This record gives sequence, C-alpha cells and structure tokens, in this order.
Amino acid sequence: MIQVKDLHKSFGKLEVLKGIDAEIKEKEVVCVIGPSGSGKSTFLRCLNLLEEVTSGEVYVDGESLTDPKIDINSIRSRVGMVFQHFNLFPHMTVLENITLGPRKIKGYTDAQAEAVALPLLEKVGLSDKARVYPESLSGGQKQRVAIARSLAMEPKVMLFDEPTSALDPELVGDVLQVMKDLASEGMTMVVVTHEMGFAKEVGDRVIFMDEGIVMEEGSPNQIFEDPQNSRTQSFLSKVL
Amino acid sequence: MEVFLNSEYIKPMPYLLEGLVYTLLITFAGLFFGFIIGAFTGLGRLSKNKFIYGLSSVYVEVIRGTPLLAQILFIYFGLSQLMDINMHKLVAAILAIALNAGAYIAEIVRGAVHSIDKGQMEAGRSIGLTKGQTMRYIIWPQAFKRMIPPLGNQFVISLKDTSLFSAIAVGEMVYKAKTYYATTFTPFETLTMVCVLYLLITIPTSIYLRRVERRLDV
Repeated sequence: MIQVKDLHKSFGKLEVLKGIDAEIKEKEVVCVIGPSGSGKSTFLRCLNLLEEVTSGEVYVDGESLTDPKIDINSIRSRVGMVFQHFNLFPHMTVLENITLGPRKIKGYTDAQAEAVALPLLEKVGLSDKARVYPESLSGGQKQRVAIARSLAMEPKVMLFDEPTSALDPELVGDVLQVMKDLASEGMTMVVVTHEMGFAKEVGDRVIFMDEGIVMEEGSPNQIFEDPQNSRTQSFLSKVL
Repeated sequence: MEVFLNSEYIKPMPYLLEGLVYTLLITFAGLFFGFIIGAFTGLGRLSKNKFIYGLSSVYVEVIRGTPLLAQILFIYFGLSQLMDINMHKLVAAILAIALNAGAYIAEIVRGAVHSIDKGQMEAGRSIGLTKGQTMRYIIWPQAFKRMIPPLGNQFVISLKDTSLFSAIAVGEMVYKAKTYYATTFTPFETLTMVCVLYLLITIPTSIYLRRVERRLDV
C-alpha cells in the first residue's frame, strides 16, 4: 500500500529524516514510536506530501508521490489524516465538517453526503452532535469527529499523527476505541503515537525511530519484550 | 420653530445633504472596488510567487507611503494628462478611494488570513481539497469574520477622506459647505453642521463595530 525508499527530508540545513525505508501492507496497522524530535511526525507528513520530500521515493497505492505529474489532491483524498490538534473547521457544524470533502471533491449532493456522514457519526458515537459546532465538543469528541471527517472520503489508508497527545487522559480511551474498531475492520493504518498500550495491543508492527532513522522494527512482541537496539531499550525503559 | 428653521445652522442643510449623497456614494463605491483590490493584493502579499508578492508589496508601500491628497491630484490631473483624457471627477474620486483604501484593506486581508491556524490549511489539503478550495471554503470564511472590525474602521477613515475631494471640486459635503459660506459668510455655522453630519455617521458606526468586536471576541 505504501512504500518508502531512502526518504530524506531537510528543513533548511537541518536534516530531519536521514534515509527511511519502510513498507506498509494493506490492512496492516503500523505504529511509529520514538522520542520527540526523532522525525516520526515528519515521516508521517511526507506520506501525503504535507511536507515536501527532499529526496527519495514514496509510493502510495502504486503511485509515486515524487512524480511531478502526480495529482496530489487525488492521492490525498485516498489517504486520510488525523492531526494531534484535530483541526476541525470551527465555522462549520460537525455534519458540515464531515460532508465538505464528499460534497466538494466527490460531487455528492447534500443528501448523498449526509447518507455517508451520519453512519460515520454513529460509528464514532456522536450521532447526537451532528448539528452542533466544534467549540461545544470535548477534545475527545473533536478527535472522533476528525476521524469521521477523514473516513467520509473513504480512504484506503489512515495516517494518525499523535491523535491522543492533546487529550485529557480520561478522554483518550474513546478515541483509541474508535481506532481499534477501525483496525479490526481491516483499515490500513499508520499511527504515530505515545500510547505504548495501543501499539502493543493493536499494532501489527512497530517502528522505532530516533534521530531521523528507523532504529528498529518488528512485531510489538519483539520490540516491547525483546528490543535489540540499545536506543530502543533505553527509550522503552523510560516510557513503559 | 420659525426661528430654528431660519437659523444660520439650518439654512445650509439642503446643500450639505446634497453633498452628503456624494460623500456616501464615493465612499461606498470606492470601498466596494477597494475591497476587491485589497482582497487580491492581500492574498498576493501571502503568495510564494515572488513576482506576485513583489507587485503587491510595491503597490501597498507606494500607497501607504504617499499622502492621499497627492494621490487624488495625481489621478485626476496626472493620469488625465498622461492618457490625454478628461477624466470625470466622480470617476477620479471613486478610483482614488478604491486605490487608497485597497492598500490598507490589503493589509487587513493579509493579517486576517495569516492569523488563521496553519492546521486549517493542512486539514483542508489532507481531505483532498485544492489550495483554492481550501482558501474559499475554510480559510476565507474564518478570516472574513476577523476582517469586519478593521474594515469598519477603514469605512470611517475613507468616509472622512472624501472631504479631500473638495480640492478637485467634487460636490461632496465639504465642497458644498465651502461654496455655500463663500456667499453667506457663515463658515462657523456651516462647518459646525458639516461636522455634525459626519459624526452622525461615524459615531454610530464605531459603537456598532465595538459591539461586533465583542461578539466575535477577536
């Protein structure tokens, strides 16, 4: 589904990604962990070109993102993204947030778009919030709306950029539950996270990044129970 | 009643009100075009394209760095000479307000759009909207709300600026007053009423704007 080959990304002189190789298969849930500043969010943002790639190649769904002829908007509509700070559109109701993409990109009528949005709202447990504005929602509810908004475009892959980091601890559970449900339905997911419990339980594979490279990767069991790399060991000893 | 109507304060009113019509016409028409100019230039100031950015910046700096009276004379006399035409005074006046206010509105637009969280653009792009669609459906509606108070301010400023058109004999309120008291020798009474008429528009506008500002909480 996603192939990454020798991906480099620099901001000015600062090289944040120093040659990443990775592959994400269909229906796989890959969790990316690592200390702050390790480049894991930048890596994720390169997968839908929110960050321009400095060198290397990224293939999504068979198409090369670095090909200048690529229609990036079409790729982005197939790759969902959920942000740490939700980024809901505050001037639109919850329902309008979710239906915007289907209406403007897929050309759905209001009724068609609502037929897509309402079941998604039910799925994230917020059917009663369709007509309210985001400001009246809690952080956890906002993030669940953001997930529904992404799903409304029927993406083939979902990228999560620390989706629970900005939430009060008691609100994390609901968001993680939605993500678990999604994983069990077979959604391909790449999750940058500090939730080691989630990575252990839901992840098919865990990638540990530090200083712009992939230090170690393997099944959650391998990474959490028997890490080989000394940096992985020291990181995990601090967070577990 | 008779005494009041015959007072030197009331007698110029028909002339002044006639002038007020022009004052308002120039202000509204000028700001209408000024907003269009300002919207494009303001976005131009945020463009990554160096040519568009440069052009917008030069325009804004030139207008903001020169006095309006000079701009008015330049447009009415200078442009007429250059293009060898006889520009209608009203056209010159509306053009001058549009070009002048456009530069200030450009800064209002730039500031408002710039103040919208970067994540909004990212969220729009990540669901597959183009840059233009994201601007239109997501950034602009939010930014526009934040523009309302400063645009109201600009309305008050431009309204007062129209008095400068008396320099090219456009029949706005101040010009009407000048021609009136030239024959009656009552400049004190006449100009008092001019100020009263301006204030009757500007003070309610300011009060209204303060209320909007509080409601928007920006």
